[in-house]
Amino acid sequence: MIEPSRLASPPRSHWRHQRDRLATGLIAAGGIGVVGAVMAIGAFLAFEVLPALAGGGIDTERLRDALTPMAWGTLKAALGAMVFAIPLALGAAMHSALFMSQRLRSRMKPSLEMMEALPGVVVGFIAGLVLAPWIERHLAGSLALLAILPLGVLLAAASWRRLSVGWRRRLPLSRAGLWLIPWLALLGYASFALSPIVEARLFGGDLRVWLDAELGLDYATRNALIVGLAMGFAVMPSVYALAEDALSGVPSRLGEGAHALGATRWQTLWRVVLPAAAPGIFAAVMIGAGRAVGETMIVLMASGNTALMSLNPFEGMRTMAAGIAVEMPEAVPGSEEYLLLMLAALLLFAFTFLVNTLAEVVRSRLRRRYRWLGGAP
Amino acid sequence: MKRRAVRRLPRSEGPWAWLAAGSVAVSLLMLGGLLLLIAVRGLGHFWPASVALVTLDDGRAIAGRATRELPLVGQEGNERLYFTGNRDFDGHVWEWIPVSAIASQQRPVDLVVLERRRYGDFIGRLVAVGPVGLSVDHPDQEAVWPRLQARLQAQQALRDERDRLVRDTLRPLVQRVDANPGDHDAREALAEVNDKVRALQAGMHGEVAIVESVGGRRLEQPLDEVLRAWRPNAMSPVEKLMAWAQNVWRFLSEGPRDVNATGGVWPAIFGTVLMVLLMSLLVTPFGVLAAVYLNEVAHQGRMTHLVRIAVRNLAGVPSIVYGVFGLGVFVYGIGSSLDEWFFSDALPSPTFGTGGLLWASLTLALLTLPVVIVATEEGLARIPVEQREGALALGATRLETLTRVVLPMAVPAMLTGVILAVARAAGEVAPLMLVGVAKLAPQVPVDGEFPYLHLERKFMHLGYHIYDTAFHGNDVQAAMPVVYATALLLVLVILLLNLTAILLRHYFRARHGVLARQP
Amino acid sequence: MSRPPRLQPATSGSIIDFPPEASCLAIEGLSLAYGGKSALRGISLRVPRHRVTAFIGPSGCGKSTLLRALNRLHDLNEEASHEGRILLEGQDIHSPEVAVDELRRRVGMVFQVPNPFPMSIYENVAFGLRLQGGLTRRRMDDIVEWALDAAALWGEVKDRLRASAWSLSGGQQQRLAIARALAVRPEVLLLDEPASALDPISTLKIEELIRGLKSQLTLILVTHNMQQAARVSDYTAFLQDGELVEYAPTDNLFTNPSLRRTENYITGRMA
Repeated sequence: MIEPSRLASPPRSHWRHQRDRLATGLIAAGGIGVVGAVMAIGAFLAFEVLPALAGGGIDTERLRDALTPMAWGTLKAALGAMVFAIPLALGAAMHSALFMSQRLRSRMKPSLEMMEALPGVVVGFIAGLVLAPWIERHLAGSLALLAILPLGVLLAAASWRRLSVGWRRRLPLSRAGLWLIPWLALLGYASFALSPIVEARLFGGDLRVWLDAELGLDYATRNALIVGLAMGFAVMPSVYALAEDALSGVPSRLGEGAHALGATRWQTLWRVVLPAAAPGIFAAVMIGAGRAVGETMIVLMASGNTALMSLNPFEGMRTMAAGIAVEMPEAVPGSEEYLLLMLAALLLFAFTFLVNTLAEVVRSRLRRRYRWLGGAP
Repeated sequence: MKRRAVRRLPRSEGPWAWLAAGSVAVSLLMLGGLLLLIAVRGLGHFWPASVALVTLDDGRAIAGRATRELPLVGQEGNERLYFTGNRDFDGHVWEWIPVSAIASQQRPVDLVVLERRRYGDFIGRLVAVGPVGLSVDHPDQEAVWPRLQARLQAQQALRDERDRLVRDTLRPLVQRVDANPGDHDAREALAEVNDKVRALQAGMHGEVAIVESVGGRRLEQPLDEVLRAWRPNAMSPVEKLMAWAQNVWRFLSEGPRDVNATGGVWPAIFGTVLMVLLMSLLVTPFGVLAAVYLNEVAHQGRMTHLVRIAVRNLAGVPSIVYGVFGLGVFVYGIGSSLDEWFFSDALPSPTFGTGGLLWASLTLALLTLPVVIVATEEGLARIPVEQREGALALGATRLETLTRVVLPMAVPAMLTGVILAVARAAGEVAPLMLVGVAKLAPQVPVDGEFPYLHLERKFMHLGYHIYDTAFHGNDVQAAMPVVYATALLLVLVILLLNLTAILLRHYFRARHGVLARQP
Repeated sequence: MSRPPRLQPATSGSIIDFPPEASCLAIEGLSLAYGGKSALRGISLRVPRHRVTAFIGPSGCGKSTLLRALNRLHDLNEEASHEGRILLEGQDIHSPEVAVDELRRRVGMVFQVPNPFPMSIYENVAFGLRLQGGLTRRRMDDIVEWALDAAALWGEVKDRLRASAWSLSGGQQQRLAIARALAVRPEVLLLDEPASALDPISTLKIEELIRGLKSQLTLILVTHNMQQAARVSDYTAFLQDGELVEYAPTDNLFTNPSLRRTENYITGRMA
């Protein structure tokens, strides 16, 4: 057997310590520097805008006139997006967290992650140049779809109960997310095929003309409806992912307790799981709203970019993000317009940062609560 | 004995459970529909579709590709949209024809489509090919078509020859003369090459094809304006497939023409890739550094916790805000100062004081830093504490533990973060509109001129190409195929990157599952 | 195997009297607290050279904490504070002139969960050697072979030294961890429940290994398995609630515990 000699040689050890200390210092300095650079964004915007604002560099009257329509547009667009995204995202999250089979779920999550990764410019292009003219032409069918799709699902549920046992096993609720697709596609097709007839009977042939005449609603090709749909599509995956995390993170003991008392899965979800996960779902919605407020390309391409202030869902709007993207390159640094756009950017930054912080705090509290409820160390 | 599966009959849930399932179906349907639409339209654009000769009730004839059909507004029946080309005759390239007005429809094999440098496509019949001023008394269809192909090939050869001369001989000579106006040899050589190029161009100019629209109008089409010609109705499916593949390749490898409405996207691909590459070179070291600091070095107290939350939240700040920051700090701040110090002779036209490659990469690096930091931190936190203690217990210093054990184990997580960052940066357009993207950049930012990589130049970007072509072109309808194809390309690249990241993360977690066997 | 010297019945916190040259590690009045929360209180004991000493006690009693204090792994926790002294060959390990990495080299450690590094089997064993540096290739090979042999792993891995250490089974990974610790020639080897994640056969191999190693170095073993302590160790210290209850030769402690608390624990009548 070989007996190795004593190994350590003090000078080398000294050098190693020096190097360790030096590297640790460098990492610390670099890390602080990088974190500082990232944080500099807020500071920069504040330093650019606030002195001018305080020093009267901007006429407050003009400021209000310029910012109000953009703020209005931003809220309208975000609201539209959330109207579409929240039901879809939360429904999908509940289904995949509680009803879906484990295997399907593990495929579903990445495909929705893909959906999140779709670039805004592509979604905006499809919404602005393909969807908008299409919906303008098929307005009645598109609006009917909003009612027909949920009704179709319920119809499918009702007929599912009358199916034989074998068929029910073959088409379980846990895979309904898949086998409903052809049925809904068929319904969609039928809705567009039949809508001209309905339109002719009820609205005198053209719903847009009828809307204008009867309700006084203008119809612009690129409008809040389109923006809501497109941005809802873009925001939905992130809301889904966070809400799903919150729902599936609820310790299973809680649900099992309710199951043991004879509750159906939906009752369990509604009475036990959902209240437990409510803060997480709130956080998901907040983060979704933050994204919707700041999304630029979709709004730019699908909104028509007209600075209107109306509640009409069929009219366009201009949001702060889109306004910055269009006007900022032309604004002269230091000019009033430049400061105005900077202010808009600062508002966007502050809003999203606050909303996200709130959501993050809620989420970390929730995680702690789950740990406590789950009894894990 | 057969074992019977004891399975509970699925219990029926209330309507809400079904609506929840329905929302999954609707989401997947929308996603699938969107991807399918982009894929079909994007790839279909390259297919040499058949051309129909349509005779109308009133005896008028048109030739074109049917693109879509919609119900007539306020009337029974449908109308069909034909792409008819021939902008130089008609002033437009699209025509809506009510289906009921179509008397007859044929697909004659002698219809040719010419892809031209100006005025877009020509659709019609070929009459004759030859030098300027040839007579057209005896049109001979079968012999003319091979001649046209042969002449076009010859033209292409001349064009290649000219391009090579310009690139390899003419440009260097011009530079020599510029640098040293007294260099007589260079001047003579330059004059000689110039003559050659002129001769080549003259050779190209001399030929024309006489073509005739189905309406009977004739045109003398100079051949040097014609890029390609094909007879779609005479092609077999295999030939069409080959032509399709060729078209895809040309789309990827050529530059845009005709105000971006046709041609390829090579400069945009190049610009996107180069920008993303620069960005990842910037973001990787800094992101990893910050993550290592936050996770391994910093005191894990309240302050670090707050900083971590703030960094996470910055990932949610709108990209346009980063654009504003980039414009204010990099372009107007640092860039203007650089101009004053180093490029004052070029002022007032800015060098770095305007958007460019460097500023775009920096802005996107800042934008994606949180992504890399969060992913790397997650990877570092996932490494079992025993690994670190094991190294320390062998007498390793903190740095040695970090570089030899911890960082190698965190490599997949870092890679995941960088890939996600790249995917995000590749699709981000809004900040680029402020800090350096160009509608049409004549030169790519890399060339043979010192310093080879031109960080101050503007560049083309796939995402911006989509926006610009779709919204600021002359004829949006005609540019749609290019937009679709570009969108498909962008989506494919981004999905591929994301898929890689997902697989990598999956692999990473699976591998650590082996280690994290707790008793 | 020589019989351990008979000792006086121990009382709580007492220092068992060895001749000083027979102990290599002495703990004197050690108290340890994490952020004000006390983990160890007034522990004093001497660890005999070239023997196996076991720390037993209920979970949370502080036995692992005590073990980790011996090579200052508790330094990693910034909230930890200590009182008292730990003497390695008469030198206080907390004194400023002791370099912590040198200490950790002299006092090696094997953990509860196998923790092979993400490199080859060979590189795992050579890890500590490379940190020291100054070895020729041949010498390195020799030491790696010696360490793997001493950890009874050489026969199983000699044909695949370049394979990833993660390809080994759990028991092999744990013996690799021992080989890795042995390669730097520590004077003391700390074993923190080294067999708790392993199957019975691997456990047996590890136990054999521990018994065989004591001719070369001092071993300290933390275990929750009393049979294991009885099988392997020469001396056993029983800890409860952060205090040393009883410290005696293993035979004495298990057959004739002098204190009621010890007896209750050993016979399974825990309060």
